[in-house]
Amino acid sequence: MLRIESLSITLGEFSVRDVSLEIRPGEYFIILGPTGAGKTVLLETIAGIHTPDSGRIILGDKEITATEPRLRKIGMVYQDYMLFPHLTVEDNIVFGLRQRKVPKEKQQALVAEMCAFLEIGHLKKRYPGTLSGGEQQRVALARALVLKPEILLLDEPLSALDGRTRERMRRELSRIRKCTGTTIIQITHHFDDVFALADRIAIMREGQIIQTGETSEVFLHPVDTFVAEFLGIGNIIRGTSSRSGDIARIMTRHGTAFFAASGLTGDVVATLHAEDVILSEAPFASSARNCLSGTVTEIIPAGSTIRVILDVGFPLTALLTRESCHELHLEPGSTVCATFKASAVHVIPAGSI
Amino acid sequence: MARRRPVAGDRRNNGRLLMRRFSLSLSAIVFLAIGIILLTLVTYSPLPALAASLASPEIQFAILLSLVTSTVSTLVCIALAIPVAYSLSRYRFFGKRVVELVLTLPLTLPPLVAGIALLLFFGTTPWGKALDQAGFGVIFTPLGIIVAEVFVNLPYMIRILRSSFSAINPRYEYVAKTLGCTESGAFLRVTLPMARSGLLAGTVITWSKAMGEFGAVLMLAGATTMRTETLPIALYLNISGGDLDLAVAAATILILISLVTLCAVEYFDRDVHVF
Repeated sequence: MLRIESLSITLGEFSVRDVSLEIRPGEYFIILGPTGAGKTVLLETIAGIHTPDSGRIILGDKEITATEPRLRKIGMVYQDYMLFPHLTVEDNIVFGLRQRKVPKEKQQALVAEMCAFLEIGHLKKRYPGTLSGGEQQRVALARALVLKPEILLLDEPLSALDGRTRERMRRELSRIRKCTGTTIIQITHHFDDVFALADRIAIMREGQIIQTGETSEVFLHPVDTFVAEFLGIGNIIRGTSSRSGDIARIMTRHGTAFFAASGLTGDVVATLHAEDVILSEAPFASSARNCLSGTVTEIIPAGSTIRVILDVGFPLTALLTRESCHELHLEPGSTVCATFKASAVHVIPAGSI
Repeated sequence: MARRRPVAGDRRNNGRLLMRRFSLSLSAIVFLAIGIILLTLVTYSPLPALAASLASPEIQFAILLSLVTSTVSTLVCIALAIPVAYSLSRYRFFGKRVVELVLTLPLTLPPLVAGIALLLFFGTTPWGKALDQAGFGVIFTPLGIIVAEVFVNLPYMIRILRSSFSAINPRYEYVAKTLGCTESGAFLRVTLPMARSGLLAGTVITWSKAMGEFGAVLMLAGATTMRTETLPIALYLNISGGDLDLAVAAATILILISLVTLCAVEYFDRDVHVF
């Protein structure tokens, strides 16, 4: 377990202020936040690159606040990979093993194993400058993972990749976590990463952690309007998707099903913007494919709008104006119909979590 | 209106053509002038005479002394410039601007001024005299040549290396540290190899500048025949003494060295714009 206690550090214009986090063993933890929130500084401080001005970092039962990075057993992969350009792929991967004075034969076996695991064996003799973004990413992961770190830190690992490669790498990350059991802390501003990968997330703003929790919990109950606006989406629904004609029918764990315009099947995460959900007292005829009835469980004012949380078999958030809410006479316990278009539902593969 | 436009266009075209002709002809003239001047020097003495001059003990001594002093001073420059350039590119510290200014000053200083500053430092200050008594005599000695060359060339080396280091993202070192490197290990295994082309270019330039250094060497080490007589000093002594053949021989070698240097720098790295 990694425990961060009241960590503060200022580096130039970036700062981290009084951050406390607890990351459980084997967890996939994602830190979300706008640019300049101090996310990278936080990761680098966990890795030991910067010494915090105050606070403590505890890994397992050992305090590592002042430990050199090389002795921390924490691996790091940057957005731009930072592969050493003067070394071949193989030498990049073996770099850490050489530093640790691992015997030659063992080095080779470990590198071969890692190359097979990440399917980069054919790239061994190439130089990083000749690789595609996805290939560099896998080499960077191999270089960090070959040392079997207790914690792997990922700084925006997917944002430099194009759409299809990103999707592939996302599955790869999910597989890495499953196969190696490594605790992963990732920074991202891609919500798809959050839905597909994270067990728990933290929202960071201006150097401070504003909210931490299970992914669906944070999306369902943002602590303030900043988090609500930043997350924006409102609904994350896990389920199993099957083909139903041209669209997907997603069956949730609670037994309620709805439709989504997607070709994906299997375990999926569906996201739906709260403002795309229309509430009405009774079902009405429309082109929208989904009309679910449920009860209001919570009404949360959020500035000029109101977030209404329903139970339609699963929790569903709708964003309404104050006027609409008033006209519909909504209060906890009211029965309503939630209507939304299948094309408003965004579906991504759930990985293997 | 409709008829005037093409006329105006033609005029513009004429202007452009004139500009092109003018600048191209001027380029040709400058190129020819420089080429002819250098050729005049190289072809001044017939080959047998040049060979005889090159074989003379004085020129041989000058070649050897120049080679040894430039090589040693270049090595000293490398050893000093690497840590200095690294700290300038990576660390923030109090008075950095002043330090940068002082380190750059010798670049714009005439070498004669640098030489006289060195002469005063080693000749008149107590610490200079103490060094002299400790066996580190630099005034009018071959050691002085090395000291003068280091003083004049170190700023170049620092500048080149500094820009090389600055171009390397410090995150490469961060990653190296998480992979098991110490601070110095990360520098030696990652940053320094990545700065290789800058280091090579800097070395070649420093070395060739040291080969040609005259002003500072003259001031500090003097111009003593067969003692502190480097190639430029040999050129100066022989031209003063009227032995044109020996002077030309020394000059020819210096031209060859410049040519080789230029080619080497072009070869090592096209991205390092040092000249």
